[in-house]
Amino acid sequence: MQDSATLAALALLLMAGPLAAQTRPNDAPKPAPTAKDWAAVAALPDWSGTWVPLMSDQSAQIQTNPTPWKPEIQKQVDFWNAEEEAGRPNGLLLNCLPHGMPSFMLITHNAIEVLPTPGRVTILGESDGNRIRRIWTDGRAMPDDPDPSFHGYSVGHWEGKILVVKTKAILPQVYIAVSEAVGIPNGGDMVIDERIHLLDPETLAFDLMITAPHVLTRPWQTRRIFHRRRQRSHEIVEGVCRQGDFFEAKDKWGNPIFVPATQENGNVLPPGK
Amino acid sequence: MSFRPANKEACVRLTWSLAALAIAAQPAAAHHSFAMFDANKTLTLKGTVTQFSWTNPHVYLFVDVDGTTWGVELTSPGNLTKVGWTRNVVKPGDKVEVEVNPLRDGKHGGGFRQMTLANGQVLRARLFDLEGKAS
Repeated sequence: MQDSATLAALALLLMAGPLAAQTRPNDAPKPAPTAKDWAAVAALPDWSGTWVPLMSDQSAQIQTNPTPWKPEIQKQVDFWNAEEEAGRPNGLLLNCLPHGMPSFMLITHNAIEVLPTPGRVTILGESDGNRIRRIWTDGRAMPDDPDPSFHGYSVGHWEGKILVVKTKAILPQVYIAVSEAVGIPNGGDMVIDERIHLLDPETLAFDLMITAPHVLTRPWQTRRIFHRRRQRSHEIVEGVCRQGDFFEAKDKWGNPIFVPATQENGNVLPPGK
Repeated sequence: MSFRPANKEACVRLTWSLAALAIAAQPAAAHHSFAMFDANKTLTLKGTVTQFSWTNPHVYLFVDVDGTTWGVELTSPGNLTKVGWTRNVVKPGDKVEVEVNPLRDGKHGGGFRQMTLANGQVLRARLFDLEGKAS
């Protein structure tokens, strides 16, 4: 009997070891938002509706306020610019991975939504479900070592009518893009500081300060502009990027299905090839 | 690359894929620069719609011009909806005139500029052209 108890205790100890190792500090459940919390959201600036990027200004910004690439990086940018001008654009987004930050804000051709809820602001893009930013506004500090991701870890707070955001932990492979054909991987250690605010009742500005020590000579201050639309025709719709990689077909029972398109170096080939 | 369609569905898929192949001097599947199209050249394709693929990330229009299928690439369904298009704006069999910037490599593909329907209605879709006009 005593042996059994000893074995049971040992088994519990063995199980408790890994479990204890998985216990995280400061992981207490967050209290549910209260009516006061929701009222605070209602008092925020009204950023409802659909925000359409001003694409012509994206290009103009690059011309008038160029990215301060390091000289050796500028040579790469020149190469990709020449490739595009020669009709051989480098398709930064062809793999359907997210733009990531800051390119999501810098070069998107699709509309976004900005959704405030208690303790958080969520930015949703139209291209794919993976164009999404979660900006925590619940007073938390930036974690010491968050897992790197395409959009990074964002912590924000409100300064009056301005949402102030800091973003870190962006994957080093994520581009700083100036177009859909020209961009350079940030290389890691990038920090993005943003001030998001209305310029007028229907114009939202993202003022970005991009600090990328591996590729930029200095922090790059730039602005991107989005115009509000409230029509139903402008509501965000689903945009699954990889849908174009599939043919519509039928299975042996006649059910409509998707089948992978045969591709060679990105070129779609006939089925069965 | 011989391919023998075995049934109607295969024919449809062949049409789709050949058109996609024609357009595929560069990867055709995802959002990208339109630099593979020659912005300094304009062609008008007068023909019959064989397929209108309302798919992300780019909508494709396939037009038969005297027995040759041309693939024409547009922006996304979401962006087209914002400027008044629907997935039913054209259908196979419709007679159309489509103005395109052709592929630089001479293959039968192009970037969409505008389309005139049989009733004379002109549809545009280039976002830069329409920017600020949708409100």
